[in-house]
Amino acid sequence: MSEIKLKSIIKNFGGNSIAVDNLSEIFPDGEFVCLLGPSGCGKTTTLRMIAGLETPDSGEIFYGDKTFFSSKTGELTKTENRNLGLMFQSYALWPHMTVYKNIVFGLEMQKKSLEEKNKRYLELEKLFHLENFRDRYPSELSGGQQQRVALARMLAIKPSLLLLDEPLSNLDSNLRLEMRSELKRLHQSIGCTIIFVTHDQMEAMTLATSIAVMNKGKIEQIDKPMEIYNNPKSLFVAKFVGSPQMNIINSEIDNELALCLSKKLNIERNQVKNFGIRPESMKMVQQNEGDINANIETIQPTGADWIVGVNIFGKSIFLISSDSPIGKENDKIGIFFKPEGCHSFDSNDLRILKN
Amino acid sequence: MISSNSNNQNSAIINFKIKFSKLLQQPTILIGSVLVIILSYLVIAPIVSIFSNSVSLTMMDAMLSGSKDGEFTYKYIDRVFASSVSEKIFWIPLKNSITVSFFATLIALVLGLILASLVTSTNIFGRKYLGFLLIIPYMLPSQAMATAWLTMFKNRKISGPQGMLESFGVTPPDWLAYGPLPISICMALSYFPFAFLLFSSALSKIDIQLEEVASTFGAKTKAIWSKIILPLLIPTTMSVLLLTVARTLGTFATPYILGTPAKYTLLSTSLYSSVRSNDSGVVAVIAIVLSLIGVMLLLVDIWVVRKWQRFVTVGGKGIKRQPSKLGIFRMPTTIFAWIIFLIAALGPFIVLALSTLMREPGNFSFSNFGLAYWTGVNVPGMDQPGIFTSPEVITALKNSFLIAGSASIICGMLGLLIGYAVVRLPGTLISGFLRQISFLPYLMPGLAFAAAYLSLFAVSRGPIPALYGSISLLILVMVVTYLPYASRSGISAMMQVGPEPEEAGMVLGAGFWRRITTILAPLQKSALIIAIILPFITGMKELSLVVMLVTPGTELLTTQSIRFLDFGYTQLANATILIIGVVVMISVLILNRVTKTNLASGLGG
Repeated sequence: MSEIKLKSIIKNFGGNSIAVDNLSEIFPDGEFVCLLGPSGCGKTTTLRMIAGLETPDSGEIFYGDKTFFSSKTGELTKTENRNLGLMFQSYALWPHMTVYKNIVFGLEMQKKSLEEKNKRYLELEKLFHLENFRDRYPSELSGGQQQRVALARMLAIKPSLLLLDEPLSNLDSNLRLEMRSELKRLHQSIGCTIIFVTHDQMEAMTLATSIAVMNKGKIEQIDKPMEIYNNPKSLFVAKFVGSPQMNIINSEIDNELALCLSKKLNIERNQVKNFGIRPESMKMVQQNEGDINANIETIQPTGADWIVGVNIFGKSIFLISSDSPIGKENDKIGIFFKPEGCHSFDSNDLRILKN
Repeated sequence: MISSNSNNQNSAIINFKIKFSKLLQQPTILIGSVLVIILSYLVIAPIVSIFSNSVSLTMMDAMLSGSKDGEFTYKYIDRVFASSVSEKIFWIPLKNSITVSFFATLIALVLGLILASLVTSTNIFGRKYLGFLLIIPYMLPSQAMATAWLTMFKNRKISGPQGMLESFGVTPPDWLAYGPLPISICMALSYFPFAFLLFSSALSKIDIQLEEVASTFGAKTKAIWSKIILPLLIPTTMSVLLLTVARTLGTFATPYILGTPAKYTLLSTSLYSSVRSNDSGVVAVIAIVLSLIGVMLLLVDIWVVRKWQRFVTVGGKGIKRQPSKLGIFRMPTTIFAWIIFLIAALGPFIVLALSTLMREPGNFSFSNFGLAYWTGVNVPGMDQPGIFTSPEVITALKNSFLIAGSASIICGMLGLLIGYAVVRLPGTLISGFLRQISFLPYLMPGLAFAAAYLSLFAVSRGPIPALYGSISLLILVMVVTYLPYASRSGISAMMQVGPEPEEAGMVLGAGFWRRITTILAPLQKSALIIAIILPFITGMKELSLVVMLVTPGTELLTTQSIRFLDFGYTQLANATILIIGVVVMISVLILNRVTKTNLASGLGG
């Protein structure tokens, strides 16, 4: 099994903050893993350590039966010899080389013959729709074309492990959608392990077979996407995944609402520090017919649905409604909570399991 | 006990093993360390040596006084500041330097500001060309203006051919021909393009919206300039002021050519005569004073820039200011701008060229023109061969190309190497040290630095041989002096490329040398060419740095022109300067070709 095994990885860039803090994880073979987290959480550093572009201060990294790094034995495999594919946010296409030269560079390093290079190039050219671009320079290509060249360059040497560092963030939203499906198809067709770094939770949700949410150098939760969304293990994960963000209700400050939710979830209120409600888990009903009454503050139609800002006893929260709102601004309505979208977190910001 | 000991040993070996494999993959640390060692010697050693020279007895003085060679002494400090000769070697030159710097800087500043405003913001005729033409004086060697002045205004006080005015029957008075007035004017004319450049760029950076807001309140052009634009230019003005003062203090050619006949000495020429009379203790003391002034000016500049940082406006939408209409002033201002160009750029060229083409100065009859001074045939009243046949000129030409050429190649590559080490080792001691030390020579005026090198390499020390009198010394001193510019541009070039292109190669299996040769070098090709041509241009016109280090046989074109002047061969000196001018112009054209930009943006040194 060529799984990636990280053991007690520590990486410090000097200064007080620790980039990666005693990280241990196994990424199984053939998975499409997303490292998701805010900037500075250590996700790119983790990726670069797997690539060998950074060396951990201590810990071990294994890939299958190969040791990439071990501070126990002092082994360190050079990046050049790790046989992996890496794609940068900026693509890092060499501006002084043509598309062809860029793509066959890796094969050249392996001293492949001209025929082999041409054969592989033709395959990739077809796969990524790069016909007619052979002699162009990267600056003569559009953003989407550059990205396809970068993908082709990475895949030319048929690596069994692909590392992608926010490769979609430089694209406009249409192209991004297209590229997402391209990447997904790619993963299905070549079946290799992909580790993908992003801060965009939407990207992670749509692409990954498993998501690792990182915070302050640690993985807070690693799970299947829907599991992450439906059962966030911590307040951080709950807040980070989902858009609009989950509504957070402090059980001490937002009195009425907290009382209502603790009843609904059948949980002791003093056990809970924060409640969380997904915006789509609330339904607007007529006044006095729901769990609690509210005032409509704002209505923002997005086309597909409505984002409605409501005020419940002084606390402003957002809900998403796929039906048109039953009132207008300043109207009084009732709110019904769907229990599966309501969560409670203890004083350590960890989820309290429902019983 | 024993087991923990062996454990420690084990982990030390493992640590070493990791470090070693990292080093093999990325030998940047190795490159950085080698650079640190080389630069420490080339930059710090001269500075240490000059400080020690200022307080230790020379061999000659030790013999005279019966003390030991190298003994600690206040003798030289005393001689410079408080002896019977200090008036002559220090206090009067200091006063003169201050006077000349003050007037030269004032004129340069005002000219620069007025011309920059006219060219960037008004509709004077030919503004498109003036932007380029007004920078030409900056590219001429500093002695061009001075020798042109001398050729024009010299009177019978000094030997050699007649001045042009004199040959028309007008004898210029001494105050017009030599001394503070011509020195100030010539320096101002050489250095105003610097002010012009800085003001132009500051003016074009001011957000046009700031002015538009004012005009919505009813402010007229005059009010906008006095209330908004000029106050915003205060930080630039301070910078121009301080940097121009620093430059004028370090200038050697102008005071040497125009001050010597009137016995008008500045600090730079006083330092030079101390070098000529082998007074190394005094040389050290004056050089230290010059450097301290330089450091002080730089510190003030840094302080000013920081203090006025709140004046820095965040760029707007990059809309160009509409040239304001000058109305009836359009013609007079146009004439003014073009006259400045004529006097400062075209004038010297014409005067120098004419003087080499006329057998007798001032005689404009057709038969008087000829190439005598160039070919050496039929030269009236001179025992020298012409420029094309003079062995001295040919040697100097070869030397200039050899020295400026090798210095600029070494400097360019060193700059990129330093840039590589600094950028790729962020946060390390090596990176910080390299950044600081490569900037250090910037603090010392060329003259002071040359004096330091003179004292360091006059004798052999350890494995390093005595280099005085050799071409290598001249190359070395040029490399180190231009290093601040080279390393800064190297650092910014490396910053622009970033590590990704290299890392992308690494992932695909390219080793260190492979990455350097197939990825980094091609990417930095044009940066390297610029990093070589810029110091080459500066090196070709360099005088103050090399004038004390040259010996017969290692003369450069610039120093050779000074020798010709010393002997009264004005025409030969002028012709030599013209050659330098032509070489520099060609280099600038090549540079423009390579960078495809206006040179106005690129001239550093």
